Formats: sequence, structure tokens, C-alpha cells
Amino acid sequence: MSAATGINGEITSSELNQQPAATPTAERRVRSTPSRWRQVVPTVLIYVVSIAVALALCALLVSTTGGSAMKVFSALLDGSLRSPGSWGITINTAAPLLAVAAGTIVAGKAGLSNIGQEGQVLLGAAATAFIATRLVASGPVVIIISLTAGAAVGGLWALLASVMKFSRKVPEVISTLLLYFIAIQITDFALTKRWLLASLSTDSRVNNGQPIKRNARLPGFELFGNTISWGAFVAIILTAVIGIALARTTTGFRLRMLGLNPRTARRAGVSAAKIGGAALVVSGATAGLAGSLWLTGGVPGDRFTSGMSSNLGWQGLLVALLARQRAALAIPMAFVFAALRTGSQFLSATGVDRRIADVVQAMLVLALLVGAALEMVQKRRAERMAAA
Amino acid sequence: MSDTARPEPISAAASAASAASAAVRLEGITKRYGQVVACDGVDLALYAGRIHGVLGENGAGKSTLMKILIGLIQPDEGSISIRGERQAIADPLAAADLGIAMVHQHYSLVEPLTVWENVVLGEPVALNRAKACERVVAISERYGLGVDPLATVSRLTAGQRQRVEIIKCLRREPQIIVFDEPTSVLTPAESEQLFSVLRTVVVDEGRAVALVSHKLDEILHATDEVTIMRGGRVVDRLLTADATASSLAQSMVGRPVSLRSEAAALGLIETVAEIAHDDPTVESPEDKHARVVLDVRDATLNDADGRVLLDHLSISVRAGEIVGLAGVEGNGQRALADVLSSLVDLDSGSVLVAGTEVATSKPGALSAAGVGVIPEDRHDSGCVLDLSVAENLVLADLGGVSRRGMLDRKAIDERARDLMQAFEIQASSPHAPMRSLSGGNQQRVVLARELSAQPRVLVAAQPTRGLDVGAIEYMSARLRQAADDGVGVLLISTELEEVLTLSDRICVIHKGRIVGEMAQHETDIERLGLLMGGVNA
Repeated sequence: MSAATGINGEITSSELNQQPAATPTAERRVRSTPSRWRQVVPTVLIYVVSIAVALALCALLVSTTGGSAMKVFSALLDGSLRSPGSWGITINTAAPLLAVAAGTIVAGKAGLSNIGQEGQVLLGAAATAFIATRLVASGPVVIIISLTAGAAVGGLWALLASVMKFSRKVPEVISTLLLYFIAIQITDFALTKRWLLASLSTDSRVNNGQPIKRNARLPGFELFGNTISWGAFVAIILTAVIGIALARTTTGFRLRMLGLNPRTARRAGVSAAKIGGAALVVSGATAGLAGSLWLTGGVPGDRFTSGMSSNLGWQGLLVALLARQRAALAIPMAFVFAALRTGSQFLSATGVDRRIADVVQAMLVLALLVGAALEMVQKRRAERMAAA
Repeated sequence: MSDTARPEPISAAASAASAASAAVRLEGITKRYGQVVACDGVDLALYAGRIHGVLGENGAGKSTLMKILIGLIQPDEGSISIRGERQAIADPLAAADLGIAMVHQHYSLVEPLTVWENVVLGEPVALNRAKACERVVAISERYGLGVDPLATVSRLTAGQRQRVEIIKCLRREPQIIVFDEPTSVLTPAESEQLFSVLRTVVVDEGRAVALVSHKLDEILHATDEVTIMRGGRVVDRLLTADATASSLAQSMVGRPVSLRSEAAALGLIETVAEIAHDDPTVESPEDKHARVVLDVRDATLNDADGRVLLDHLSISVRAGEIVGLAGVEGNGQRALADVLSSLVDLDSGSVLVAGTEVATSKPGALSAAGVGVIPEDRHDSGCVLDLSVAENLVLADLGGVSRRGMLDRKAIDERARDLMQAFEIQASSPHAPMRSLSGGNQQRVVLARELSAQPRVLVAAQPTRGLDVGAIEYMSARLRQAADDGVGVLLISTELEEVLTLSDRICVIHKGRIVGEMAQHETDIERLGLLMGGVNA
């Protein structure tokens, strides 16, 4: 009746015109090609326009504060891609971002919002530091054990939120976020105790851990003067495994069902506590692993320091958001974010005010989000129209 | 009576009324959604002092037309005149200013508030409880509605809520009132009462009323003239006195229909009852000894606020029979379906499937034990709109379409093609998103999935709601077929006609408990109606 069937009916009638039995795949291709283009072109256009606007605003900001816009943009590019060794650093920064995003996608597909990755990253790095400063064994053994420890601790941290959610109905949005603040306190405390993470050398260097053992660092290889750590491969393989598991396995199917319609899923025998709880733990574990990769990848130095997660968790969350829960899209998105990050760090090194550099970075992130946000609004509107 | 394509207002009586200008005149109203024309050049005139029936199947465009009249939707073409003056109705507020009001099919009451609070809601004046209550009582007395202004809405029955809606609507003294499928949640007695209120409103007070319905009985009993819509067009317009059930049915559906075999879909309750009595299917002793496949014992369930949803409810279904659960909406039917879908856990009581107790707390346990469900709201618990048709056909049963935990896409597609053919599901391909299917086809996907799992029990909750006559017929035939194949069918429906036509045995639910039971051949509509209203008969 009325509007609802009007719209549903439209789609249906066009589908009806085609014989369902005859070569449906061919027809589908014919049908979807023009409409896919109609989708892609505006999307690309939105991104181009929003980034151009952001760049223009940044240029305005930089020139009003007495800088040269061209120099700033050129420095951004130098820092992330052009200067020697820079894209190696960008890739090594992208690895933990990608690991965080991959786990966030798992939780998101199950309909859960883990937003405490920052704390999970921090604790993962701390656990890795604890092992990697102590364990005496051959390199691969140390690396495998310390990375596993990072993932395990990150997963445990998310398990707390998961238990609260499924036994006491505490919203995971709140619990994961609040657990982040506890994670900071725990790691800062650990940095004051020598039996935990504090440096053995002097008391003057508070808030710094001991350097991790040399053989605990992730090996890398040289490519055109850039050092690329194996962490990048770990993150990409992790993302691929997660993408395939979600799309192709029965568990992945049930997890998606849970996220898309929990009541239908429950009737079909999907336990929200088991599958949803596991999804939350996986997202914590990949965030913990991200912390381990960050620490052992060498970019932030050779030791655990206070607050060393330095927004990787938040940014990884944004990467997942921008990739719209698609594992394959998360890979380039993580690289873009990493480039922005390394670029703006270089920017502050060239003498531009650190705060201006931060604003420039934030504006570009916002520009990337505009497209995703618009698309979300459009989709919701279409759904509402169909449901009205 | 099979008439011209676009007949003009009718005969002597009507033209006498139209000597004075129509209260409302809609002319050439057209509304398109994409390629679909919901209303195609529709003319409609309502006259003061008359009840005008608007008859049509689901999707005929009658609701769209009414929404245009009250300003919820803007027409693409056409004009609206109120008392001879042309008007543009921008929104429901503008409609209210012009004296147009509507009693919606789905009530818009705030449940935790009292009746008088709901009635004054949205009025731009200072709250005055005494005055508001007085007004509610005055209107209530004038029309014999019997509504207590201090009652909390959440505690009212569906029939009482409708009366609150009517008071809300009448408080502004509208000259033109639209009732959209008003009897869908009422007991037969409450419907009678409603029609007598309508008479008062129309005859004594000279208002114009439009009654939108897909039920022939209602149109024949309650209206003075009728406009029949089909596929967005007006196909016929006549005085109700000149109409017969068969002429109306034929115009509405667009093909000759058998009043007997499709009586339920057409809303002809008396025909249904007649058939039920004539029906020679007296239970054979064999049926009586068929195995009990579903046995709900002493089920009790309260909601979070402590309100009783199920009150020591017991019901059983034998293999091969259709048990109809009749009752006014909101008496625990939804809770019972939820329990049988493993969506809520019972506070006490038990559910046995084929003699074995099944835990109601475990997700999917009832489905695994062989209880198929066609839920009342398929979008809520029947399908996943963002997955494909093929995926929706295998939701609970991944065992046959996966190997070592990996989905076998070929097997999924193959099963989808088979089921799409067997159940005549129309979709462009198995990969089409569920969202893109029409309501009727979505319902077939749910039906196909539930039946292909070879259930012992099939729970069908309001299975034909919102479907057109053809689709209703199809669904009924499938349910019967399932029963013939030995499935125990529990049909939960608020449509008495449907329960009467399909069931071998009828149980009546009221306030969460079974208040009466009768075999098909001994049904007594009057007694059924009283039981549904909570009167012990």
C-alpha cells in the first residue's frame, strides 16, 4: 500500500520483467554496470571536492599564520612519500593502523562498536615490551611469543567489555572506551616499577621502558632505500584472513547475520554472547597485535614509553569507518592515514607550528570522512524510504 | 454493474447530495514513485452526511490517496477542493485547519500517558487537566464511547485505544473524517459499535466520512456509496445499495472470483462461517490419535515492566492439523510466536516438540527441534534484508551448503534456484538483495526456507497480512498442503475469516491465556466474538 509498496514495487516490477530462470548472471551484469558507474562517479567526485576544499582551507590557514602554503604541502609529500626512506616509514606506520582496522571490521560486522582500541594497542605494546625485554631465546621464538602476548592481552582487555556486555548488558561503546582510561593508568604504573616495565638504568628517565632486545625487533628488508618491516606483511595477511573468513566461512556468515538482524540470527541459532563476544575479543586482539607491531617495528624507537599508542587506536577506528567495513578497502585507507601521519610529523620538523600541522592533518582526515558520511546518510535515507 | 472506466458521481440520491457542493472533491490525482503509479488520475468526492467506502486490495492506491488528502503526501498532478474551494494541502496541520482528520490504522498514542494527555497532545494551549477531562467525557458521552479520561493508554485494549484515537480526531470538530482499515484490530462486537458511532457522526452531525477497507462485508454493511480502486485507478463507483458482494469482489480483484473459495481473503465472514458448517471434514478417530507435535504447557511470561504477556497458556497441535489461534491483536500472540522462535525465554512453563522438552532459553533450539516460523513481522525476525535471496534461504541450515566450515557458494545458489522455482519466488537472480523484493516475494522466501527445513511444526503468525488476494490464496494453499503432509500448523491470526477457513480447531487467546476452544464444525461466530472480547461464553 502507498509509498512503501510504491518503491518496493518499482524495483520488483523491473525485476519481474526479466525471466528469473534464464542466465541470471548475465542479466545481472548488464543491469548493474550502468548503475555501478552511477554510484562510483559521484563518490569519487565527493572525495575530490572535499579534499580540494580542505586543502584550500589549509592553504588559507597557513598563509594567514605567516607560512607558505606550497611549502607546507610539499613538506607533507616529502615526509610521507618523497624524501629518502619516508615511504618505508609510512608503510611501517600503516601496518598497526591496518591491524586495528581489521579487528574493528570484525566487531562492526557483528553489530558491535569497539571504540577502545587505543587502550588495547597500549596494553598490547606493554605486554610485548614485558616479554621482549626479558625472554632469552632465538629471534623468531622471541618475536612469535611477544607478538602473541600482545594479541592475547589486547583480546583479554576486550573480553572484559564482552563479559560485561553479555552478562550484564553494559553497552560495549561505554565499557571499551572507559577501559582505555584504565589501560593508561596501568601502563603508566608499570613504567614506575622495575619488575614491570621501568628502565633499569637510572631513575631520571621516568616513563621510559627498557630497550627491547635486538632479536625481538621485527626484521625488515631494504627496498629502494626504504626499510620495510615484516609487520606490514603480518597486517596484510591478517586483513586478508579476516576478509575471507567473514565472506566465506559459516562462522563469518553467522557473524554478519548477527550484525544485520540479531533477532533473525537468534532464531537461526546464532548466540550473540558467543559469536558477538568472540568478535569483540578478536577486535581487541588485533588492536593488541597492532601495539606489538608498532613497538617491534622500530618507528617509535626501541622501547615502551608512556602513551606510545599515540592515537593509532583512534585512527585505526577511522580507517575501518572510511573503508566502510570492507577489509580490502582498509588496506589503501590505512596507507592514506599513515601518509597523513608521517607527512604532518615531518611538517612540524620543518618549522611549521606543531599545532598548525595538527590542524592540517585533522582537516584532511575530515575531508576523507565527508564522503563516507554523505554515503551513510544517503543509504539511511533510501532505507527509510523503502521502509516507510 | 460492470461499469465504465471512469464513472461519474452516481444516481439520484447522490446527485441530490451533490446539488450542494461536495465536502471534498479530488480530481485527477496522480502520484508516481519512480515508474510505479500509485494513483493514476483518481477522482473522488465525499459528501456531508454520507459514508463513502474506498475499497481495494493491498497496493491498490487507496492509502496513498488518503495520505494525499490529509497532506502527508503531495500529489504530482490533480486538484483538491474543499467545500468548493480549491486548496493545496501542504501538511497534516493544514489539513486539520481545513477540517480534515484521519483515524490511522496504526495508532499514534503515547502509551505511558493517560487518555486526556494523549487527547490534548500537540494542542498549542496551556494544559488544563480538569477542562481536558471534561471535554473527553463530553465527546465520549455524545458518541457512547465509554472512555475514561484518566486511564493509562498502555492498559487499554486495542478497541479502547481506537476510541481514544476517535476522540482525538473528533475534538477538533472535523467536517471530513477518514478511517483507514478501522476494524483490523477490533472484535466483531467492537466493529459493530464503531459503525454505530460512524452513523451518529454522519447522520446526526452531517460530517463526511471515508471508510478505507479491503473487506467486502464492511463496505456492504457500513457505507452509502463505494469507490473501488485497482492498480492505482478507480475501476468502479456505485451506490452500496446497488452493489452485491460478487460484483464488488470482481471489480476489486479484476477477475471473476469465487466468493466461497476466497471468502476469507475478501473479508466475507458470513460466507466463511457457512462454509465451516457445511464442511464435511469431521475429524476421523485417526486424527484424534495423531501425535502431538507441539505442546506448550503452562507458559508464563512477563515483560520488563511486569505486565503479563502469557498467563499459564497451554496449547497443543497434532501432526497434520491446523490449529487457529484467534484473538484481538495485543493479547499475547506476539509473545507466543517469540517464544516459539527462541527469541524470549519463558518465566515458567515448558515447550515440548514431538514429546521432547526444548529449552526456550537457547538461541535456535526450537528451530533445530523442528519448529518453523513465519513471523508476523518478517523484517524483524524472518529475514535479513541486507543479505541476498540465496543467503536468506539458508540462514539456519548451513550444514548442507558448507564443507569444513567454508560456505559452498555453488550449493547455496543451487538450492536457491530450486526453491525459487518451487515457490515461484520472483527475483532477478539468487544474488538479488532481499531488500529489492516485493513484500509478497519476501514472504515466499521465508515460507520456502521454513518449509524446506522439513519442520514438524509450522507457526504462521499473521501470514497473509498486507498481501493481495492472489498471494493470500497461495499462502493458504501452502499451509493446507503442509498440514496434509503431516506438519502440525499453528495459525496465529487476528483475521477471524482466515482462522475460520483454514483451521481444523480454533483456540481463542485473550490477555495471554486460552479462553476457549472449538472444532471447526462447531464454530459459532457470536461465541467466538465474545471470547475474543474476554467475555466468558
